[in-house]
Amino acid sequence: MLPFFCALIMKTEKGKEEARMKENAIEINHLTKYYGRHCGVADVSFSVRAGDIFGFLGPNGAGKSTTIRSMLGFLQYDGEISILGMDARKDHERILREIGYMPSEAMFYPSMRVRDVIRLSAQMRGMDCKQEADMLCDRLKVDTERRIYELSLGNRKKVSIVCAMQHRPKLFIFDEPTGGLDPLMQNTFFELIGEYVEDGTTCILSTHVLSEVKKYCNNVAIMKEGQLVSTGSVSELTHTSSKRVRATVDGQAVDYLYTKDMNSLLKELGGRNVTDLTITDPSIDEIFLGYYSKNDNREEVKK
Amino acid sequence: MMVLFRHEWKQNIRTLLIWSLAVGIMGMICICLYADMAENMADLSESFSNMGAFSDAFGMSVLGIGTIAGFFATEVGVVHGLGSSMFAAIIAGNILSKEEEGHTGEFLYSLPVSRGKVITAKICSIVSALAVFTAVTCIFYILGFQVIDTAPDYKLFAIFMLSQLLMNLEVMCICIALSAFVKRNMTGAGIGIALFLYVYDLMGRIIPDAKDYLFIGPFSYANATDIFAEQEIGPAAYICGGCLMLIALFITYAVYTKKDLAS
Repeated sequence: MLPFFCALIMKTEKGKEEARMKENAIEINHLTKYYGRHCGVADVSFSVRAGDIFGFLGPNGAGKSTTIRSMLGFLQYDGEISILGMDARKDHERILREIGYMPSEAMFYPSMRVRDVIRLSAQMRGMDCKQEADMLCDRLKVDTERRIYELSLGNRKKVSIVCAMQHRPKLFIFDEPTGGLDPLMQNTFFELIGEYVEDGTTCILSTHVLSEVKKYCNNVAIMKEGQLVSTGSVSELTHTSSKRVRATVDGQAVDYLYTKDMNSLLKELGGRNVTDLTITDPSIDEIFLGYYSKNDNREEVKK
Repeated sequence: MMVLFRHEWKQNIRTLLIWSLAVGIMGMICICLYADMAENMADLSESFSNMGAFSDAFGMSVLGIGTIAGFFATEVGVVHGLGSSMFAAIIAGNILSKEEEGHTGEFLYSLPVSRGKVITAKICSIVSALAVFTAVTCIFYILGFQVIDTAPDYKLFAIFMLSQLLMNLEVMCICIALSAFVKRNMTGAGIGIALFLYVYDLMGRIIPDAKDYLFIGPFSYANATDIFAEQEIGPAAYICGGCLMLIALFITYAVYTKKDLAS
């Protein structure tokens, strides 16, 4: 009887593990990467739920790209990465088949025509993606007859989006995707993401643009100096009600972070001569600052 | 793999055309000059074969420059040897590093293909480019022979061209292995490597003490005068060449499949 129970317990545990893997599109455990003596990322662990739009937030040099490049097998690393239930080291090729990746630089072979780059990307996957590629080119207004060296960064990014999406992957990895794209194209891009995610695709969006994360992502991981500062839902992590206030009050320019209730701000300004007023989201560093301050029970961060 | 092979082919085709046409046409012009120079050559041949180290270095002490075989070996042999090895070195030296230098690696390596397969496809594309280079230059040389209506022994000519192809493959393997380590364009270094290997062979033929070590260089078994003079080429040169190629390929795969790719 004992071996039977042992086998049953093991089977149940294995089932739980498989279910967890299915639930999480990405699982990163203790990821550490050194470039010589310099630490790229240190002991980073987080997971991304399947079907989620996950923001990966941090300033330049925070370790976002290192994490992504480790996931894609561009770098050797310590720790464990599991993508779509597969081991990133062992099943590298199979994983790449299911991924649509858009690098931050979006560089292609300069002498190739756009249509040839898109076709090469599909052929390497052994797929005929013509219909999907045509739809994407149409919506993103990509001129497929032009050569890559004729394209601006924004247009190269659009080609990169087509290459990443045309095979309808299970996972998108976008590294600073909107840089160079005009606002109209940014809108179309996020519309497309929304449509694919509705069909079950997971999306990880690495960026330092806070507004993108706040607007489009459900969950977020915040990186700073190679370390994971925090992870959780967007509303949780950006809960700080801080606003950057820039105004000209009584002829004097003021610029500060306001963390109290907005009504108090309006009351404060109400009785004074305000000639100019801009209220924006705080920068990512200010959010960090606010976040740390909250941990230290210091609610207000003011200039 | 075939998709990647075709892609690499397309990337290299312009370089292949330029180099094969340049070397082929230069060789053909050299051959055509033989008809005009043949009469004077008979007198000069004796003098050229008695110029000591100079004659040894260019093989004129063993093969008379007054014959088409001697003329082809000493003139076209040098042009083809240097031209083909430089082509092999340039094309192979950049084959891996160009992805990192041009930042195209992020696109290529995000496609579902292992780095090992990428290396294999790239090597296959260079091997076929070198074969086409050899075939194109061969056609030009034969055209030259047809123009002057005289030709060397075609069997020796075939052995020479195949030996040159083998030498090119060895240069290719050495340069690919170097390409696996670097992240920058290796064109200059490639030309340098080809010239170094040629000069190594040249020095080995001039300096008596260095003759014993001649077999290490890839030019030793591909030397035109040795082949056209039907001099025996020891197995050591082929064995050494084969070993060098295997070691270089092993290093390429071992290094490049584990390498951190530059962004």
